[in-house]
Amino acid sequence: MLKVFKYTLIDLARNRFVLGYALLMLLVAQGLFALEGDPTKALLSLVQVVMALVPLIALVFTVVYMYDTLEFTQLLAVQPMRRSAILGGQLLALAAALLLAQAIGLGLPLLVHSPTVAALVLSLSGSALVLVFAALGALIALKQREKARGVGVALAIWFLFVLVYDALLMWGMFTLSDHPIEPFVVPLAGINPIDLARIMVMLQVDLAAMMGYSGAIYKNFFGSVGGTIVAALILSLWVAVPVLFAFRVFRRKDL
Amino acid sequence: MAEARITYHGVGKRYGKLWALRKVDCAFHAGEVVMLIGPNASGKTTLIKSLLGLVSPTEGHITVNGQVIGSDPAYRKAIGYMPQISQFPATLTIGQLLEMMADIRELRADEVEDSLVEELGLSAQLDKRLSTLSGGTKQKVSAVLALRSRPGILVMDEPTAGLDPLSSQRVLQRAAAVRDAGGTVLITSHLMEEVESLADRVAYLEDGNLKFLLPVQEILSSTGSTRLSEALPRMLESNALSHVL
Repeated sequence: MLKVFKYTLIDLARNRFVLGYALLMLLVAQGLFALEGDPTKALLSLVQVVMALVPLIALVFTVVYMYDTLEFTQLLAVQPMRRSAILGGQLLALAAALLLAQAIGLGLPLLVHSPTVAALVLSLSGSALVLVFAALGALIALKQREKARGVGVALAIWFLFVLVYDALLMWGMFTLSDHPIEPFVVPLAGINPIDLARIMVMLQVDLAAMMGYSGAIYKNFFGSVGGTIVAALILSLWVAVPVLFAFRVFRRKDL
Repeated sequence: MAEARITYHGVGKRYGKLWALRKVDCAFHAGEVVMLIGPNASGKTTLIKSLLGLVSPTEGHITVNGQVIGSDPAYRKAIGYMPQISQFPATLTIGQLLEMMADIRELRADEVEDSLVEELGLSAQLDKRLSTLSGGTKQKVSAVLALRSRPGILVMDEPTAGLDPLSSQRVLQRAAAVRDAGGTVLITSHLMEEVESLADRVAYLEDGNLKFLLPVQEILSSTGSTRLSEALPRMLESNALSHVL
């Protein structure tokens, strides 16, 4: 696995898309800190960008990379090596390349302009989203035979998590505002990794109040150490479950 | 005849409702070159891929050197594979790719056969990125990858496609050398003229069925031809096929 990881990472280190991702994040982060006088305001704007852009890039890049390297994956699969070692090496390298690009593009400006706990949580949440959506991207690429279809499914999933889910959640909360919905608010937020990541950052900037009634519930639960652990566990599950399914699919897949 | 190195025991492969291979029983021996032919979608690639472990047979099993192939990938150390389409990590160089594959196969320096690199004119291009190579040069790299571990079993899918005549000749000479050293070589090719001098037996597949697996001499004598490229069409068009089945 480490051999596949090493050479895939060498390949990805010079990949234009990965370099472009690092540059784009750097430009956006630097731009926001330069435009906004207040680092907290810049951080809040950056949260919105990160929560939308990071999942999209991790998802689409992973899907496209997996399709584009399919013939080389076939060549690796005829070597005396287990398939789990091939996929493990490739996924680790993809995650490492995207995390490294994000550390440069997002981590460095945060460290320079806003070395706060909130910035650290944003950085960690962004990294978690990279892992979650790279894992989902790998599963999509392995389940769908056609590249166009795979990219389509990836975009649909991104759209669902970024926009549709929140819209449905808000509609549900307004519609059922007369009912005791508190017990459902936290689990419903936990289902969407992007919402969960956003909540964790917002709590650190102490702007949960801006999220209204639901913000108070989030603060009550996720503001505690136990809540933070639960959030980390949920995000870990969002990584582990798609990865496990991806291994299962890849082991049986006809290449 | 030498011992069977690769044996298919009732191997069938179904994709959805379509059977790409149907109960194939055959054996390929040490010290022979077998040419796999058949129309498009006849099952040639599936036959090869099931040996390489790229597809799992729906029924039956395959043995390599007496061992049933399954989840243990170790048997593939004996196999060199040259695919029809070569695609490599874009930003790696030829040298890095060769190093990577030797690393993965855990080849010692004395196990690596690199003279083909020089012979195919790749020595001066080792620092070139794979994305900048022409299709023909990628095929040369693919040939080197398949042959440099001195495989006992060599599987080549359309090996001369995209290669210049001189390189084609050199690659086929290497395939012959594998056979002469006691190896088993399986080749699919639509360019019969190029590989007919190399083949010892011909396997003909149609609709997933292995129609025949015959020595070249038998095919030639049954059709009264001197060349395989003439004999096979004649054989398939006439009733000669029923005679040999």
